Amino acid sequence: MTNPTLDIIKSRRVIRDMTSQPVETEKLEAILEAARWSPTGGNLKLNRFVVVQDPRNLRLLQLVSPGMFQRCPVVIIVCVDWGVVKARELPEHSRPILMDVGAAAQTMMLAAHSQGLASGPVTSFSQSAVQVVLNLPDNLTPEMFVCIGYAEPRKQTGMRGYEKVTWHDLTYWERFEDE
Amino acid sequence: MSAKLVLTEEEALELLALLVTSARIQIDEPARYGPLRLLTAADRLSTFIKERASAEAQPMIAELTTTIPDMAMYMSDEERYVPTLDRLCRVVAQRLVEASQNEAAS
Repeated sequence: MTNPTLDIIKSRRVIRDMTSQPVETEKLEAILEAARWSPTGGNLKLNRFVVVQDPRNLRLLQLVSPGMFQRCPVVIIVCVDWGVVKARELPEHSRPILMDVGAAAQTMMLAAHSQGLASGPVTSFSQSAVQVVLNLPDNLTPEMFVCIGYAEPRKQTGMRGYEKVTWHDLTYWERFEDE
Repeated sequence: MSAKLVLTEEEALELLALLVTSARIQIDEPARYGPLRLLTAADRLSTFIKERASAEAQPMIAELTTTIPDMAMYMSDEERYVPTLDRLCRVVAQRLVEASQNEAAS
């Protein structure tokens, strides 16, 4: 029996090599709507999404993001709204804050893949430089990029994993035995 | 070695941005990423100077620009990654020696 959702999850890959083909607005909006439905701790919705498509802004982002290897037509920047964090009296190091960022990013990458789009996450950027480049208000910090576009048909370049694993290698059941 | 400029201000600024932002993000990243960022800078610099550098420098530039882009793919494979880094060091050192000898001869 096929399960389209699991197929999408298992066939998604981090894509670095993308074409300059623009992303259709309806596909982009579907990705952003999917992000809105991603799980958030306490249903607080701490994330804000900044969509960058202007080639000048994309170039500036690239210049301050050593880990951004993609040349892509769209970058969605997942930000945390610290104004909401403060208003809800969440501690600054509360774990759900960054977990929400990851959940939103993954949801967007799956939504992209389900529409035939390529995507790739980036965390290696200077947060303070990105704040300047995008003139972000003080309450927003950029935490993660999701690069989106169409995959280059040629062979993709990317990091190889350190070792092959299955889900069995990553999973423990119930309580650990005493040593 | 020629004294002519091989880098525009725009290219220099781009390289500067890469170096400074890399310095910051490296604080939060695995140590292994440090060499990768330096290689990215070396690749970018090589690409920038390619058109304006001397004929003598071209073999080194070609070696750097063809080898470095793929290195991120096998950075976890030390048996391949480290010898490749050593090879690039030898290529650069060879160019330094040649340039020094040419300068001494002139």
